[in-house]
This record gives sequence, structure tokens and C-alpha cells, in this order.
Amino acid sequence: MPKLTAMIIVRNEADRYLGRCLESLLTFVDNIIITDDASEDDTPELCLSYPRVKLYRQPRSMFLTDEAKLRRELWHYTLENKPEWILAIDADEFLEESSLKEIPYLLRQRNFKAIGFRLFDCWGSEDFFRVDGLWNPWLRGFSTYLVKYQPELESAWPSLKFHCGRLPLAYRQLIHYESAIRIKHLGWANPANITAKYERAIRQDPANKYMGHEHYESILWPSEKIETSKWREHLSI
Amino acid sequence: MAKKVALLTTNFFHPKSERIITGGAERYQVDFCRLLRDMGFNVEVWQMGDNWTKEFDGIKIHGVPANKTEYHTFPELNMAFYENAMAFDYSVYFILSLAYPLVHEKSIGISHGVYWDWPGFDTTTGKQEIKQEWLRRMGISLAGPQKLVSVDTNTINYFNATLPSFYNKWEYIPNYVDTDLFCPHEEDLTKDKIRILFPRRMVPVRGINETMRAAEILTEKYPAIEFHFCGRGHDDTIEMLMSQWAKKQERCYYYWKPFEMMPEIYQMADIVLIPSRSTEGTSLAALESMACGKPVVAGMAGGLSDLVLDGYNGYLIKPSVENLVSSIEELIKDSKKRRLMGERGREIAISFNKKRWDERWAKIIADVFR
Repeated sequence: MPKLTAMIIVRNEADRYLGRCLESLLTFVDNIIITDDASEDDTPELCLSYPRVKLYRQPRSMFLTDEAKLRRELWHYTLENKPEWILAIDADEFLEESSLKEIPYLLRQRNFKAIGFRLFDCWGSEDFFRVDGLWNPWLRGFSTYLVKYQPELESAWPSLKFHCGRLPLAYRQLIHYESAIRIKHLGWANPANITAKYERAIRQDPANKYMGHEHYESILWPSEKIETSKWREHLSI
Repeated sequence: MAKKVALLTTNFFHPKSERIITGGAERYQVDFCRLLRDMGFNVEVWQMGDNWTKEFDGIKIHGVPANKTEYHTFPELNMAFYENAMAFDYSVYFILSLAYPLVHEKSIGISHGVYWDWPGFDTTTGKQEIKQEWLRRMGISLAGPQKLVSVDTNTINYFNATLPSFYNKWEYIPNYVDTDLFCPHEEDLTKDKIRILFPRRMVPVRGINETMRAAEILTEKYPAIEFHFCGRGHDDTIEMLMSQWAKKQERCYYYWKPFEMMPEIYQMADIVLIPSRSTEGTSLAALESMACGKPVVAGMAGGLSDLVLDGYNGYLIKPSVENLVSSIEELIKDSKKRRLMGERGREIAISFNKKRWDERWAKIIADVFR
């Protein structure tokens, strides 16, 4: 079976989903490479409590000032660990467990060197995902999360401070297989975090360069204006 | 030096995106290019596209900006290919109508089945003079290549009845299945459940709407049955709607799986549905289900009657809701019949073994490409 390495950037995740995320990942990946972006809580200790996790620590936080650099560094740390396939994931994202049986088939197939998934944003709870406007997971396409490492490809990132993507540009341009496995994103699941996340989003993108004004505003919409759909786990096949 | 083969198709890649349309014909193309490569040829592919070159499975695919269609033929693409592939020794017209109006000297045309039995074809080509012009062009398409290969007998019969002078050009090479990869599982994997599988793209001509209705009726009536819809939609909205519909039903599931996982999906089924209304050849999915030892309920379309003998290894029906429900019910009620029909299907599938396909094709390629 080809080796699968997950890579994650974390910052102050100890009280969020990191433990669950690592537990879930370790059921199907071989090892996890983590860059800790100068956490001020017990995140590093939590990471180190898992033997198959390798942790690299940043002395100063870069996520909000130079995300591309942080991503590049994580990529290089990952390469130091001789990966075959790389899963670029966040600490609040989960591949649905009922479909994990598909992963070995994806790693063994030879036609595609990149695999895309649809991301479902859980909203207000872990049981519902958002479906209005640009939140609709079905209509916004697939994103490449899983790639086969290819030494001949360039490791360049776009020179953007934010929203610079998780993988080197060359990997994002590969022809990818679109998998039916859904990624469950819990970043918006806790209502208590939504306002802070909104504020961070507009601070990072005051000119609405990455997303339209209306989409940012939709983060704060009252619940009656928001459309959600119940998350139902697929039958395990 | 290796001889060079140029293959012309319409859309292996979507002309404007990275999305790959992975239907049966696309899988056929990959396998066919592999066979040519194994025989020592260099192969490149042309299709519609905006002046790009991509690679898939080690084969270069060139997109040429010639998107115009007339009477369901592609003269602009055909001519662009004729000029672009001039340096190649041999040509393959992967869809018959692509051979209109002009072909390279040593070439083969392939039919993947009748597609003009689709009602939409009649709405665009229905007027008598338009139909006549389409048929005239098809006649020219058939006249050019040295050999015509069809995946089913239905296409050959249609043309022999319509344009009989090409009788001797036709070769029947039905579709194929790797019977080592697709094989029955020793255990009964569903046990007390009965799992019904629709392993098709979610499009009307494949009978999706009739099958959804049949699923609603049958799941309500029989608590032990499950319906599995396994395949892509043509666009995101269809996949969203399928998922929403399945979520509302009891024991109906929607997903798709990578090709490598499909043997397992067939093995876990008890009954497989291929209820196409039209545009069928000798469906790879039907052959794969049969190779896995499953009874097949198939529509009377295209070459499905080359694979399914009604009442022997499944049922061949007009895929109305009523017919689907009654033929599935026959199989739900009788596990012995399911098993017997599955065993017979496996036996039939063995004669469609991939090795035979390779040999038949190798012979024709050697005849024409010399």
C-alpha cells in the first residue's frame, strides 16, 4: 500500500477539534506532519502525544501575516519525511468515516495523481451543513486535497499573503479525480466562534478581493435566512 | 521506428475544463490506446478544445478549436484532424460520424452503439430533409475507413438494413470485461438484505427516473431491500438533487466509486439494473455485473440484447416503472433464480473476456495498419 502522509497547520487548537481530527486521521494515514504556528495553549503537547505525529514549531505566528511562507515550510517539512501521497487538511476537517474504505483504492490507482473532494461547511452544529448561496457544497466544485508527490513538479506557491492554497500551484493544476467522499468542515459548527471568524475574514480581505461582500455578510445572517441541510452519514460500503 | 496512430474523438476531456467525462467510451479509449501501445504504436489523440495539449495515461491529447456541429457530424473537427495528423501513419475515428467528410488512407471507424434512437435526436434531426442529409453524411463516414468496428450487432444490423453496401466492412468486436478482476465473491455479502444496484450515470436515457420511482415503490413494500445508485451526474446540480432525494428515502443511497473499487460494489449487489431507454452499446457495466455473477435487468436498447437473454441471465424489458417493478419483484422473491441467473451471466461474460477483445482487435489492427 502506498504511504499516506497528512500535513496540517495548527494554532491554538487544543480546545477545538485537533484531538478528534488526529484520531480520525490516524485510522487511515501513516504519519502526520504538523506545523504549529506559535500556539499559546497546549496544542504542541497534544500533537506530541501521538507517536505518529511529527511536530515542527514556529517561534512567531505567521498565519495572519504570511500564510504562503507557512504553507511552503510545512510542504518542505513534509518532503523531508519522504511522502508518497500527501493529504493537505485542516484541524477542523474530517473525511467522512463511512467512506474511508475508498482511500486505499485511490492511493493504488494509477490514472490520477491528484484527488479532489467536496467540502461541507457544518453550520451552527455538527449535524447540519449550509447550502445557501456560495456555501452550497454541491455547486462550488471540488478542491484538491490529496496528491501524489512528484519530485519533478515545482514547489512554488502564489505570492499571496492569504488564501494562497494548501498545495503548491503545480499540484493544484493536475488533472484530478473527483471523489464522492465528503469532507466535513467544523470551522463554523460552533455558533460562539462565528462572529470572531467573520471579523478575521473581513480584516484579511477588506477590499473583497477573494470573496464578494455579500458572501462575507452572509456569515452573520440571522438563522431564519440561512439554509441548512441535515448531514447523514453514507452507508458504509 | 515505431509507426504512429492518430485517434480522433469529440470529448475525452471536457473542452473547457479539467473535468474528465469517465463513461464507458472513455474507458474504452484508454484501453484501446494501451492495446495500440502494447502493439508497438505511438498514439496521440485529438478532440475539441481550445488549443491545449494534455496527457492522460501517458497519451498526449490535443484540443483543437473546431466545435461546430452540423447534422450531428463534425466536419470542422474532421478537417482540422486531417491536416494536424498528416504526419501520422494511421488513423482511428473513435466515433463513426467523425469520419465525415474525409479520412486518412489507412483508417478504422468505431461505433459504440446506436445513438440516434434517443428521442432528442429526433427533435433536432426529425425533419425529413435533415434526416436525409444526416444519413447521406453517415454514408460518407462509412465509406472512408477501411474497416468499421461495432461494439454491438444492433449498429451493424441498422446499417446493413439502411446502407447495405458496407456489409463487408463491418466487424463485430463486442465490449469486454476483465473476468479475473470482476468475479463472483465466495460469500453472500448482503445476507438478509437484498441490494439492488443501478451502476450508471444519472441521466434520463439510462432510466434513472423510472428507477427512482421503482425504488420508492419497492422499498416501501419490501423492508429487506436497499437501492444503490452508483454513478456521476452530468453536472453538480444533478448530484445535489440525487443526494437530496436519496436522503429522503428509506434505504436508498447515492454515491460513486473509483473504477478500482467497482468489482466490490458489484459483488455486494444481488440484482443489477441497466434499464437504458436508448444510446446503448454492449454496456461495460452490464458485462461487469454479469462477470460478478449477478442477474441483470436490462432495457431493450442497443446491444444489451447481445448480453442479456430474457429469462436466462436476467430480464430484457422496456424499462417502464411497471416493468422494472415486476421484473425486480420476480428476482426479490426467488433467491434460487437470482443465483442461477447470476451463474449463467458469469458464463456468458467469460466469452466477452478482455483477452478475446485484445486478440480480435490485434487482428484487425494488423490487417489495416500495415
